[in-house]
Amino acid sequence: MSRRAGPRAGIEKPSFLWTQPTWPGGVSRPGPERRVGLEYDHDWSRRYPVRLVRAVLVDNVTRPLTRAVAPATVRGLDRLRHLEGPVIFAANHASHIDTALLLTTLPTRFRHRSVVAAASDTFFDRTWKAALWSLTLAAIPIDRTRVNRRSADTAAGLLEEGWNLVIFPEGGRTADGWAQPFRGGAAYLSERTGHPIVPVYLHGTRRVLPKRDENPGAASGVENEGRRFRRSPVAVLFGDPMTARDGEDARRFGVRVEQAITLLGDEVATDWWRARRRAAGDDPPTLRGPAVSSWRRTWALGPSPADDRPVAHGRWPR
Amino acid sequence: MNTLVFERNLARFAAARVVSSFGSGRGAGVSPLRLVDGEAPELPGEGWHRVQPILSGICGSDLSTLDGRSSRYFEALVSFPFVPGHEIVGCVQDNATSASGEPIPAEGRVVIEPVLSCRARRISPLCPACAEGLTGDCERVAFGHIRPGLQTGFCADTGGGWSAAGLVAHESQLYAVPDELTDQDAVTVEPLACALHAALAAGLRETDVVAVIGAGTLGLLTVAAISYLGSTGRAAVPEALLVGARYAHQRKWAEELGATLALDSTQLARAVRRRRHTMAVGSESVDRLSGGADVVFDCVGSADSIEQALAMVRARGRVVLVGMPGAIRVDLAPLWHREVTLLGAYAYGTERVADARVRTFDLAIELAGALHTGRLVSATYPLDRFEEAVGHAGAAGRRGSVKVAFDLTQSTKGRPR
Amino acid sequence: MSPRPGFVLEVDGSTPPTLFWNGEGYVLEKLPEGTRVVYAPEPHKALEDPVTAIRHALEHPLGDSPPLSALLFSGMRLTICFDDVSLPLPPMQSPDVRQLVIEAVLDAAAAAGVDDVVLVAALALHRRMTEPELRHALGDRIYEAFAPGGLLTQHDAEDPDNLIHLGVTDRGEDVELNKRAATSDLLVYVNITLVTMDGGHKSVATGLASYRSLRHHHNPQTMTHSKSFMDAPASELHSSNWRMGQLIKDSGVKVFQIETTLNTDTFPSQFAFLQKREWEWSLRDRSTFAASSAALARTPNRLARQIFHNIKAPHAMTSVQAGEVEAVHARSTANVWAQQGVAVEGQSDVLTMGLPYICPYNVNSIMNPILVACLGLGYFFNLYRGKPLVREGGVLILRHPTPPAFHPGHHPSYIDFYEQVLSQTTDPMEMSKHFEESFATDPWYIHLYRTGHAYHGVHPFYMWYWCAHALEHLGRVIVVGGDPKAVRRLGFAPASTLNDALEMATDVVGPSPSITHLHAPPILMADVQ
Repeated sequence: MSRRAGPRAGIEKPSFLWTQPTWPGGVSRPGPERRVGLEYDHDWSRRYPVRLVRAVLVDNVTRPLTRAVAPATVRGLDRLRHLEGPVIFAANHASHIDTALLLTTLPTRFRHRSVVAAASDTFFDRTWKAALWSLTLAAIPIDRTRVNRRSADTAAGLLEEGWNLVIFPEGGRTADGWAQPFRGGAAYLSERTGHPIVPVYLHGTRRVLPKRDENPGAASGVENEGRRFRRSPVAVLFGDPMTARDGEDARRFGVRVEQAITLLGDEVATDWWRARRRAAGDDPPTLRGPAVSSWRRTWALGPSPADDRPVAHGRWPR
Repeated sequence: MNTLVFERNLARFAAARVVSSFGSGRGAGVSPLRLVDGEAPELPGEGWHRVQPILSGICGSDLSTLDGRSSRYFEALVSFPFVPGHEIVGCVQDNATSASGEPIPAEGRVVIEPVLSCRARRISPLCPACAEGLTGDCERVAFGHIRPGLQTGFCADTGGGWSAAGLVAHESQLYAVPDELTDQDAVTVEPLACALHAALAAGLRETDVVAVIGAGTLGLLTVAAISYLGSTGRAAVPEALLVGARYAHQRKWAEELGATLALDSTQLARAVRRRRHTMAVGSESVDRLSGGADVVFDCVGSADSIEQALAMVRARGRVVLVGMPGAIRVDLAPLWHREVTLLGAYAYGTERVADARVRTFDLAIELAGALHTGRLVSATYPLDRFEEAVGHAGAAGRRGSVKVAFDLTQSTKGRPR
Repeated sequence: MSPRPGFVLEVDGSTPPTLFWNGEGYVLEKLPEGTRVVYAPEPHKALEDPVTAIRHALEHPLGDSPPLSALLFSGMRLTICFDDVSLPLPPMQSPDVRQLVIEAVLDAAAAAGVDDVVLVAALALHRRMTEPELRHALGDRIYEAFAPGGLLTQHDAEDPDNLIHLGVTDRGEDVELNKRAATSDLLVYVNITLVTMDGGHKSVATGLASYRSLRHHHNPQTMTHSKSFMDAPASELHSSNWRMGQLIKDSGVKVFQIETTLNTDTFPSQFAFLQKREWEWSLRDRSTFAASSAALARTPNRLARQIFHNIKAPHAMTSVQAGEVEAVHARSTANVWAQQGVAVEGQSDVLTMGLPYICPYNVNSIMNPILVACLGLGYFFNLYRGKPLVREGGVLILRHPTPPAFHPGHHPSYIDFYEQVLSQTTDPMEMSKHFEESFATDPWYIHLYRTGHAYHGVHPFYMWYWCAHALEHLGRVIVVGGDPKAVRRLGFAPASTLNDALEMATDVVGPSPSITHLHAPPILMADVQ
């Protein structure tokens, strides 16, 4: 605070040199200058010097940190061997760690030339957040609820420019362990630009960092506590690249992408051959879980990821 | 004759302040208090009499003066050098008249109402407060034909109780002591008058839950005053009288003198909460209540105790300051938010009890006789052991005592009795 | 080698000193020659395969109950209630039996397509369990399936919207229960019968009841007529609960009771010496005792408390039975007696016992003086059938440090009970008349009970009523090594050593008294002839 009173008050240096100047009352104010959310201008994040900084960060900070909490088994990279330039990576979404994990497991030629579609309402609602995610993940804002023309245009434009796109078609992380309905954005973009979609299944990330209850324990009267990060191995499975068939609309293509990711999920649980057979059978596995009450959905997931914690033996002192 | 004199000596004042931070009363030796061979003061004029003290108590306000902690507010209301001691029972040296106009024979025992009001200061006409009989509220305590001094014991011209040489007192200050009172009972009359004044000022009702913070002499006598006024039908008996006391013997005394429940001071807010079934604000500790006591008597006068009082009084309740506060820092947000009345209660004068006017001291003498409050006098010391005496008074609670007084008849150079 | 039964030792010149629990610690005391020491039976063998045993019990119920799978149907309302954090003691090593049983029930429910399932912790007026406690009792799988959707609930005896008044028994006792549980198509109660007092109709009639209902049996009159409350036929507490249970059954509440019993394997192998007979202590036992008691003496109270509350007992399940409440409970009680019963010949003048760091109401918490009294005079004193181990007018000597320390979050009303009630009276009748109502209806205690982790306002009274029978029976209670002020506040006499206490006891029972020492835990039930 500047000292207002005192004999020297009149000759003191005006304080606005180091604080923001106040706006005179008679002057009308223009609208907000800084745009956030879908309006955020992220072009800067793809300039060369920024890309360089990001590449250094991704390889030297993000990657080791991610590996530390989520040692990953990566399978299916061979399916990307002959794949050239811009593709859309579509993955299931269970955890905040997914983005970093997927980005850092991509082959180098994709890794440093990918943008990540991130929900405009969570990652771009403040200038500093928008800048942070643009810098570290090359995130671009998209509308999580619907296909927004503006964000679709931006993403399509980036694909045309040769950028790869990482997208989570569920539009958000799962709350109960089962996948949510896939949204049409990824399929629409692929159909519009002709670039293929690579389905990716991320396994076990919910153990590392699950989505927390928005309103923890309000209903059950139990406080949520405990640590968030739990070190746990994960798996990343890449599937065969897919493009829309002739005459296939975006909706049906999207369903196929979802099936492909489901198949990859089953492959983690069983093996490739059994997964294929089950997918073709009468009762194909599902990522969405049974349509029953919430406890039975969770029950059907089997033993809890937390159940594998060491059993207390009352060792003294522990 | 042995006399303790308090002089204006800044170096000693500062030293006392430092030493007393290690414990109240420890700084007596380095404080501006000195033992001298003094003479009785001159009689200031007509209506004044010599009084030879028998016992003179050490009061909380005396201690904070010796500790160098009393408020600077009083600087203009005292005159140096003064002889402390305003809780006094003594013998009047010649035939005198009491405040109520009755004759007192020479050598008769008296207690002194120490306030030096307009009548003692020969001020005429009386100030509005004195005209009403509210001598404690006298506006002229720094004026008139004697030097400034709000009370005997803070005035250079009157002397005080801590002197074997005696003091002078105006007849408006004299009250005869009935024979059934022991000297000990009589020396508690002055603090008892303070307690009665506070108890009456609070205007208790039968539905009230009353909390008393602190159970030193003033706290205990406040409890005694409230229950005595109630039991004699002069004021309402409150629904509950809860006392927070730090020491076990204080709790015992409080319950004996009429408290519904006396508990550790940390538990007082809990007891109030439970009586009133209010909520405690905050998670686990109970130091702020959502409602609370109707009246809280703060008999400590520290920042902590006032904050404690504000935290346990109900909205629109009253906090009565009985103990003397000083320059302290208190968060008044609760006072504002809950529309609490903070009420000062100093000294005594004339009370209106059951539509009759009665001098507080007369009431106090009656109470002292009825309850024998002299039982609270735990120890007496001769003047030449004043350091020990003041140290004892400063640690009275810890040492299991209540009131410590000087015995002026024991003084080595004093008059044998 | 099959486990040895309980044993009554007569102390002679060659008997080594006897272990006394002493709060968060233990000491060795030399008992006078001729003293009888009652040792618990050794732990019975556990069921080999608990999961299969549970499934078998569910499908082969006792009494007139159909198997569980026949009671489950799609579209039904199913409520599974379970015992709270007060059982077992100490908390058992994972997996808890409640987890195993409820998982089996849920598997059956999932197979039958039951969507509407709610879990209820049968708290009665106890504190609500914390997330780690629930996770420990139920396992993560159940917790994660039910807690997020609000389907894992804890009984709230002060929630007017979730209580239902079922009626009044022929003795005028109100029966008011958890509405969800009482209005479900099936109420499955998962119990741990740690001692014979637990289980039976008490599970539902007490665990899911409100204050209005509980006050009919949780009161000094009932408790003085429960001799002991560990022995259901002689317990007025149980008669009342049984009357209520009958009414619950008659009002159409279908209860499927699952009871489990545990063996007395109470302490992990590091602490094995705590459940061994002193003359059988190995070198390792002796050195562990010496090292741990030396270390504990130097450990701050808080840390010591933490160390002890981290102990998880290696309890193992000895039986599981399911079906109709009374038939199931009869089997459980028989099993508990078989594990814990010790025959003792006659009473003695003095009974001594060392109190451990834990009682049902201070799991992960602080054992305050009221709980010390409750554990000694309520629980341990009542571990008998027939007649008490100590004669009428005899002396009870406890060993516990009894610090006047309270957990402000768990036991808020205990603090006020200690300061404002015990300072006025220690007579259960008096306090029930003058103070109980005011504590039970205090809105702040209710608030903390409902939203925090506090025991209900009336709970400290119940703890004191628990002592009522002992208070009436005993001539004097002496606490060795207890905080003198706290001990006197409880109305007991403090003593600094056991010998002093025995000397003090002779004032009441005369010179050279007969002495019995209760060597518990592990828990034992004295069958006094």
